[in-house]
Amino acid sequence: MGIRQTLDNLEPHFHKGGKYEKFYPLYEAVDTIFYAPPSVTKTTAHVRDGIDLKRMMITVWFCTFPAMFFGMWNAGWQANEAIAAGYDSMGGWREMILLTFAGGHDAGSLWSNFVLGATYFLPIYLVTFVIGGFWEVLFAIKRGHEVNEGFFVTSVLYALILPATIPLWQVALGITFGVVIGKEIFGGTGKNFLNPALTGRAFLYFAYPAQISGDAVWVAADGFTGATPLSTAYQSGMAALQDQYSWWDAFLGFIPGSVGETSTLAILIGAVVLIGMKIASWRIVAGVFLGMVAMSSILNLIGSDTNAMFAMPWYWHLVVGGFAFGMVFMATDPVSASMTNPGRFIFGALIGVMTVLIRVVNPAFPEGIMLAILFANLFAPLIDHFFVQANIKRRAKRTAVVAEETA
Amino acid sequence: MSAPTPKGVILTPIFKNNPIALQILGICSALAVTSSLSVSLVMSLAVIFVTAFSSMFVSLIRNHIPSSIRIIVQMTIIASLVIVVDQILKAFAYEMSKQLSVFVGLIITNCIVMGRAEGFAMTNTPTLSFLDGVGNGLGYGFILMTVGFFRELFGSGSLFGVTILETVQNGGWYVPNGLLLLPPSAFFIIGLIIWVLRSLNPEQVEDNEFVMKENTQPKEAV
Amino acid sequence: MAQGNNSIKKILTVAFSLCIVCSIIVSTAAVGLKARQERNQELDRKSNILAVADLYEPGMDVGKEFSQAVTAKVVDLDTGEYTDEVDPETYDGFQAAKDPAQSRTLSGEKDIAGLGRQEQFSTIYLVGDENNPEQIVLPIRGQGLWGLMRGYLSVQGDGNTIGGITFYSHAETPGLGGEVDNPRWKAQWEGKEIYASSDTMEPAIQLVKGGASESTEVDALSGASLTSRGVTKLVQFWLSEEGFGHYLARFRDGVDSQASADASPSDDSEGA
Repeated sequence: MGIRQTLDNLEPHFHKGGKYEKFYPLYEAVDTIFYAPPSVTKTTAHVRDGIDLKRMMITVWFCTFPAMFFGMWNAGWQANEAIAAGYDSMGGWREMILLTFAGGHDAGSLWSNFVLGATYFLPIYLVTFVIGGFWEVLFAIKRGHEVNEGFFVTSVLYALILPATIPLWQVALGITFGVVIGKEIFGGTGKNFLNPALTGRAFLYFAYPAQISGDAVWVAADGFTGATPLSTAYQSGMAALQDQYSWWDAFLGFIPGSVGETSTLAILIGAVVLIGMKIASWRIVAGVFLGMVAMSSILNLIGSDTNAMFAMPWYWHLVVGGFAFGMVFMATDPVSASMTNPGRFIFGALIGVMTVLIRVVNPAFPEGIMLAILFANLFAPLIDHFFVQANIKRRAKRTAVVAEETA
Repeated sequence: MSAPTPKGVILTPIFKNNPIALQILGICSALAVTSSLSVSLVMSLAVIFVTAFSSMFVSLIRNHIPSSIRIIVQMTIIASLVIVVDQILKAFAYEMSKQLSVFVGLIITNCIVMGRAEGFAMTNTPTLSFLDGVGNGLGYGFILMTVGFFRELFGSGSLFGVTILETVQNGGWYVPNGLLLLPPSAFFIIGLIIWVLRSLNPEQVEDNEFVMKENTQPKEAV
Repeated sequence: MAQGNNSIKKILTVAFSLCIVCSIIVSTAAVGLKARQERNQELDRKSNILAVADLYEPGMDVGKEFSQAVTAKVVDLDTGEYTDEVDPETYDGFQAAKDPAQSRTLSGEKDIAGLGRQEQFSTIYLVGDENNPEQIVLPIRGQGLWGLMRGYLSVQGDGNTIGGITFYSHAETPGLGGEVDNPRWKAQWEGKEIYASSDTMEPAIQLVKGGASESTEVDALSGASLTSRGVTKLVQFWLSEEGFGHYLARFRDGVDSQASADASPSDDSEGA
């Protein structure tokens, strides 16, 4: 009971009139990490469940671990391979850490790869966490809402969809934009209609395209250009892509890309847990997947002489780029997705279709899932509206109430 | 509402009742022309000129305008003025008119101009209408210049074309923010300006459309 | 509002007099300023040409300099010969490309610049002595990422060395493809060579990613691979036999300007 007592002793200071009145959200955040929130529902609906928002978010956080650890290893492995092929390492303090812990660049060594990858990913994550957390707490204090655990998820997801070589100041700018513009100005978690992590990445994508897209940013070796499978397919066609990587490479994740996005397998492990615990809606995931399969099959059938991407089959769309990551972790964000069950299918399908369309037809953007999800986020309330209205109508009919003004 | 005063009609539209920030009019051109300050400046001057003179002319003949065709009459006056401005720019500031391209012509469709002619000039004296036009043009220009300032400084590292932050492309250190070169970025900046203006003038904030249930309110609202 | 404003008579009177007044103002402005506007357009075109030939300085008398230094000529693209069929002062190749009588359709294989149609004659500008020019300024155009890019390319008197490039109209993304306007990027074109060897009409000049090393290579625009590809294609198109290849051959040693390239050189091996 030590923790409870300590917290209870401290509590008065944080209430109105106490010394740290302003910092109540911080106290509340720590308190609810250990204990269920003290407030209880007063009105009619009662839910008795051990899982609250905080446990849910922490579960999501754990679910990203396979992708995260694999991603760190892969980032290091890609870099070590490139360095073994004669490119210079990026040098600097990362090199020192690597030499201290792992002894040197060795693409064959699990540890060396992992340490090198970690020297890229961990600073990104740290910066995300500190800067994003700063804004979160600042707004919580100013606006008087709670520091929300949704931020744990936002920060890890955001860090995982960045390329390893991104400058840290851009990481800070991006998360600032994501948290402030994508979430806080609308009132904080629960009121944001866009996914904050994706909003932050979209900001970077348009603001600093040279550091977040193109061929030179994915592998942390000086001067090395390694096209992602998507841009290889776009520029040189499917044959060139299959020459370079096998489907299994892409599925397992031995390809260049954003830290957490490369391994479809690792992401699917997280997906199984999320769907099994009913945290992620299987309807959204299914919608995204089916939408993608349908659209890519249609484009396969149409075919094109000039655009090689038309020929990309659905099972490749699944494993390259950020598709799997977006489908499992981003599209299923409970706040910005559709809330109605049939609406979730539509919402997911919209993402799947748009992703393929942007990837294939738009000449400027090789990757489409980020924009597709943000696009679908905007439509989520509208989709829900129709299903809610339809439901109201159906019920009104069933109870034989003459509905005059339901339209 | 008290009778408009010359000072009031010039100053109110700048902060208190800004046509872009409070009435959300004239957004289109504010997005399109604000990637550099000099273009924003010329556009602002053009709008000030058109709004002021169209209001004045409409006010001059307001007692003779048949109400059934008044919108067309206002439109004709505005359109003529805009064409004159466009022609003058093409003749005397060709570089500038190339950058402004169609947006000078689109002043015709700028709701601010039309709104002032219909909403103010039809019921006020020419002098007041002229000043009201100037004031609203200034309000528009204020937003345009602010947006232009941020977009040019952080998007291209310069102000009025003079390099302030040496960009990486030119061998300097500043990595320009590409988002600010794209028109949608003006939305964000205008949004932030509105945020600042409303924090300074809380009376601009609309009332809530509905009241939250007590139970869902944060426990410790400060 | 005064009474009686809505009588038919009054409506017509107001509408009519307003129209008269406004049309007088508008037409006065349009007619009175027309000469000046046309001069501006002319000067703009001329300063673009002077700029690409590296003769432009801010504040100079563009019209005077242009008439002294530059001679306009019309070239028949099929033969590479000058032609007198059209007047260089008034002929507009861009417009002519839309006229079936003065242009031809380009088929998929040849149309690497995405033009669709190409004019038969093209106006070029010679700097210096017209028989032995210092620079030849060629109009070029082609598809970028978002739309047609139009500009000028200046080639030195040897018909092989590039003097400069400029795009006066394009719709590329600002900050990425829009960097085709960047003076630093444009500056590196100077001194680059168009053809890999003296006996071919197949241009080798191209944009390459990450550091140009050959004399026929120019750095690509960073983060704008599709605009860069567009620039490569349009420059190659206009310098090939389809464009000014025959004409430039007049200035080069080792290539017969009338010869059609029967041997197809393997330009792919140049790829970086």
